[in-house]
Amino acid sequence: MSIKVEKIEGGVPNSTIMAAGLIASLVCVYLTYANVLTGTQFFSFFGGLATVAALVWGSNTIKHLCSYGIGTGVPSAGMIAFGSGVIAMLFATKFGIAAPIVAVILAAVIGVIIGFVSNNVINMRIPVMIQSLTEMAIIGALTMMGYAAMMTGSFTLQSLSTGSMVFLGLSLPSYQISFLGGGLVAAAFMLGAIAIQHPFNACLGPNWTQDRMLMLGAECGFLSMIVAAVMSLPLISMSAALVSLIVALAGWFYTYTKYIELARRDAFDWVDAKPIPEVEGH
Amino acid sequence: MSAIGAKPAAGAAVDTPSMIIGIIIMLVVIAATYFLFGSGLAFMALIGVIVGGILIGFGVHFVPVGGAPAAMGQAPGIATGVAMLGAGAGLAGLFGGAWAAELGVVVATITGAIGGGLLMAITCMFVNFIYVFGMGIPAASGKVAKDPITGDTQTEFKSQGTEGHGLPFVSYVGGVVGGLFGGAGGTLVYMSLLDVYKDGLPAVLGATMSAEVVPIAVTLAGMFAIGIFLVNAVLAAYNITGTIEGPHDPKFKRFPRSIVGSATASAICGIVAIMIVAL
Amino acid sequence: MESIVFGIGITALAGALATVAGAAENTESDIGSQGDPNSQVQLAPQMGYIHRIFNKAVAGEPPAWGLWIALGAGIAWAFMAMQINPILALVLGSALAVFVQGAYATTAYLGRTASLAKFGQPVFIDVLKSMLTVTMAHAFVAIFATVTMCHLINTALGHPFPLPLLGIVWGIALGAAGSATGNPFYGKERQYQNQKFGAGVPIAASGNIVRYAEAGERNSLDNGWFSARLGGPASGVCFGLIVFFELWRTVIFEHMGAGWGAIIIGIIIILVFMMIDRYIEIWARKNYGPYTKPEEASS
Repeated sequence: MSIKVEKIEGGVPNSTIMAAGLIASLVCVYLTYANVLTGTQFFSFFGGLATVAALVWGSNTIKHLCSYGIGTGVPSAGMIAFGSGVIAMLFATKFGIAAPIVAVILAAVIGVIIGFVSNNVINMRIPVMIQSLTEMAIIGALTMMGYAAMMTGSFTLQSLSTGSMVFLGLSLPSYQISFLGGGLVAAAFMLGAIAIQHPFNACLGPNWTQDRMLMLGAECGFLSMIVAAVMSLPLISMSAALVSLIVALAGWFYTYTKYIELARRDAFDWVDAKPIPEVEGH
Repeated sequence: MSAIGAKPAAGAAVDTPSMIIGIIIMLVVIAATYFLFGSGLAFMALIGVIVGGILIGFGVHFVPVGGAPAAMGQAPGIATGVAMLGAGAGLAGLFGGAWAAELGVVVATITGAIGGGLLMAITCMFVNFIYVFGMGIPAASGKVAKDPITGDTQTEFKSQGTEGHGLPFVSYVGGVVGGLFGGAGGTLVYMSLLDVYKDGLPAVLGATMSAEVVPIAVTLAGMFAIGIFLVNAVLAAYNITGTIEGPHDPKFKRFPRSIVGSATASAICGIVAIMIVAL
Repeated sequence: MESIVFGIGITALAGALATVAGAAENTESDIGSQGDPNSQVQLAPQMGYIHRIFNKAVAGEPPAWGLWIALGAGIAWAFMAMQINPILALVLGSALAVFVQGAYATTAYLGRTASLAKFGQPVFIDVLKSMLTVTMAHAFVAIFATVTMCHLINTALGHPFPLPLLGIVWGIALGAAGSATGNPFYGKERQYQNQKFGAGVPIAASGNIVRYAEAGERNSLDNGWFSARLGGPASGVCFGLIVFFELWRTVIFEHMGAGWGAIIIGIIIILVFMMIDRYIEIWARKNYGPYTKPEEASS
């Protein structure tokens, strides 16, 4: 026995969300470049906002794909998105200021090929498979780039692999205390992979509503941004990390309370300490 | 994995034109690597990544997974998602293989294989332990009348109204073999990329000593290995549409599609991973 | 010689931590009802069986635990890089990871239950309030034990992977081992406790989970109490043995035969477990015997 997921009509169409998410995410990642222009690190939090935009877009893409019934679970779609996205993102960081654009294009290429493999070689024959896997690879790459920019202040390979270590009061450059050297890329990978599939997975059911799912997407994005801000403490200046943390906490609190309101709106009943209601026949 | 359904299974049909296109894409990537970077470290690394990816995808087909019905004793296999169970075994193998990295590619890959196989051997034994001693349910397969390895008859040990339960011996062996292949594949991808990065990263990052960049090389190679592992495991999961009893299951015969698919996906992921230092 | 004794000591400690982590992981996922058995909690209202079980639909156990452990490890690494005491860093990392886990659990329960409004399943706020802190507490134990184990493997045993990467590896392995061992016990024995013992749940009974039990209406704490009797310790021993044997064969035998020593010992361990499994299978066939036809016409 399995749950039937029907294709739900209505709501904001996927192409609108895709355009909005792509533009918002790219703009926010590029806004972190203001760090380089102003010589500070205070604009790092835009990287976190880029991840929120990408994850909201991603939740709708997963809904779009999974409502056709892919036969396996929802979490594997998130894994394949981030598996292909992280590869594109790490290569794109070589290209300096063009890194986000290169990441999007390369992720699209990888996504098309993996989509072709899934749809035609593995023979899944889902109408939106190739487009969805392409979108998800782009989302994976942009989210990883957003986390990298937020945790290190910039999205170039140099910034991801060097940090500084305080030794006997002196600040020395170090490869080990960095986004890559310390393995924080792994924590960011899992943060994004679970956050992209959670909104659809958690709102799954006959009374799925799009605005509740998108709000949950934003909540997951801000929640991940909170812990990413904590993880950025050794890599960027304390005040810049605090700015990210405050923005993330405010955003999370707002989206979390809004989500609870929407869940209350949609629920059949919202009771405290009541017995199981009797349904006739059981 | 949550229970989503209502779509007819992908079936066992092989779409030959698409398989050929997939193989062509892989060959184009291999040729491009050869012409751009010569037949040195980068080329060998790409071959290593492709072989590793194929091992991962093929290994996932052996792992017996029953999904949600297995959690109720309605289907044989392990009650977890197939891609993530394969990932658990393969990553435990990668852990062991990465530790043996200084001992050479062959020893490291086999160590990784043993690590993955060990996780599956212990886990599958505990699954049967719980079924037999905790729930009083013997192991029985729903797809064959006699176990291909031991010859035990299955039908009379299958409880009424179910498709079988637990892990018959052929499923157990399948699980261990799947862990062996998954661990070997993941470690092979890791070792291939580690060699390329240790060689090429000092120049890319402008470091004076190659020993300094080892942490970066290890993390990059490890992250790519995990990413390529997950892509291949999920593609294999799509191929078997979520549940499989083991190598004796008729669904197992679908593996050629997965081999071509894994080869193509690993080739394109591999060349991007190599181009970080080679380009 | 000294380094081997030190290595064995760390290996034993890591194995013990892994056992605790496995047991706590299983109890946490049974109280929260995560993974494959959760499909029954989701299905029950659709078949008309309203319940008061916590419906925690946060991916499956392997990816979710991969996240909690990688997150705990990442935050701990960040604090250690700021020269904060390692033990304090591990505690803070685990605490923040548990906060994230709690937020995910809450949104999952509210979301899934709100989407079942058509079948009349209400959102029970008292279920949320009482289960949430318990599942967070078990999660803290599991996360702290596993991240500490990863820290020991990295620092004391010298594994090349940095802490968060070890966190992903062992988090996914913990979730896979714990879910494989604990899910059937929770799903069949406790969720379907009213079905006949010693047989799988017939497909016709799907969705009819136990909702009224020993002390009134069953909730997830009752389920956790039950599965902590066998499912929890079994998952713990399973994951503990995996970690212990993996570390033990490397620490003692890796320098024998340029690595081949560890491989041969690994093969021997796999064969030993294969023989134990075969013995269990034969024991069941001999002692339980085949299923016999029921005497009455109705089943």
